[in-house]
Amino acid sequence: MFRFNIDFSSPVPIYQQVIQAVKFEILSGRLNHGDQLPPIRELAKILKLNPNTVAKAYYNLEEEGFTQSKRGSGNWVNFKKAKLDRLRKGMIEDDLRGFLDRALSLGASFDDIKNLLERYSNNE
Amino acid sequence: MTLKIYWKGIQTMNKQIVKIENLNVKIGRKKILDNVHIQFQKGESVVIAGRNGAGKSTFLRCLAKVILPDQGSIVYSAEVTPEKIGFISDRISLFENFTLKQGIDFHTSVFHLEDFDYTLINQLKLDLNQKIKGLSVGERTLYHLSLLLSQKPEILLIDEIIHTIDPYLREQFLEAIIDLMDRCQTTVIMINHTFSEIEKIPERVLVMEEGQFVLDEKMETLGEKIKRIELKEDLSEEIPCIFKRESSFHKEYFIYPFKEELKKAFPYEFKDLSLNEIIKAFVGGQYAKKRNQ
Repeated sequence: MFRFNIDFSSPVPIYQQVIQAVKFEILSGRLNHGDQLPPIRELAKILKLNPNTVAKAYYNLEEEGFTQSKRGSGNWVNFKKAKLDRLRKGMIEDDLRGFLDRALSLGASFDDIKNLLERYSNNE
Repeated sequence: MTLKIYWKGIQTMNKQIVKIENLNVKIGRKKILDNVHIQFQKGESVVIAGRNGAGKSTFLRCLAKVILPDQGSIVYSAEVTPEKIGFISDRISLFENFTLKQGIDFHTSVFHLEDFDYTLINQLKLDLNQKIKGLSVGERTLYHLSLLLSQKPEILLIDEIIHTIDPYLREQFLEAIIDLMDRCQTTVIMINHTFSEIEKIPERVLVMEEGQFVLDEKMETLGEKIKRIELKEDLSEEIPCIFKRESSFHKEYFIYPFKEELKKAFPYEFKDLSLNEIIKAFVGGQYAKKRNQ
């Protein structure tokens, strides 16, 4: 059973955080095609969330095509490979944007960041 | 649970469970509740905050039918028979001289319940042959809750008890309530002063002041309507500020209602708040208003 980190002080709505967390589990391979998501009531209890919040997240995941609900048996991971690549790109881009904002506000230039990246890619 | 049931849940949420109109309660010459009008929907979870003495407990006690209002009406929908209203408060007295077992037997016979769920009591490792008066405050609360849960309440009223229980029992308490909300679509209305544990349960926030509700917002949209600004100088008077905190080197302003236009019109950085801070700002604002009167 995986345990998400929900940041209660974050302005990001909780159901969005649950969606992000499930997507992250999928991308990182801890949840695979055909795996079952925890039942709504169980996840709500683990995370101390309103069950409606979890249900809303699951509903959105299904709308976005990452899971499928089967009547009476819960929610199952179900996605297409191409979708995953697009998602991975999007998530990395979001993180990168946050990182760049912070680096630039600390006074780094794009060249500094490029140099840093090169050093990392050369395994230094 | 499938999503189809979830949608059924959403639909039932638009069903009113109780309608309160023109509610007035006086104690002596003091008005405790002043013309309260409000409605609650089935399956909703609501938190009520406010200053001490604002009338929160009295309101909940009216809903629980523990006290009768001087004026006004509280109309429950037809399925909410008296045994479907659950009320927990640290002021309620149980039959102190009963043993736990006797209490449970009495409860199940009075309410004609077929079975009793011992899960919570077993988790606490409570001895069923001890007397109720021997329980600690926290154990009593959980014992009372398990009595109420067996009634499968349509509405559960919780009067400021989370702080009386220790962190482990709090978790059990919350899980029991989450379970109930999901299983029975129970409406939960709670009064609270601390929000760190329950922060993500309520969907609707009410703030009471001098016997009236001065704030009634959905959790989801509340965060967008209230922001915080830190400044060195004074705030422009065109910005609606409900509460400010000052020290010698910085000033903090809480903005409500916030609108996106303000962001364009002023160069300030508008910051987000947690539920705890939001409530503090509102309650603090009420105190400030009171001082200025």
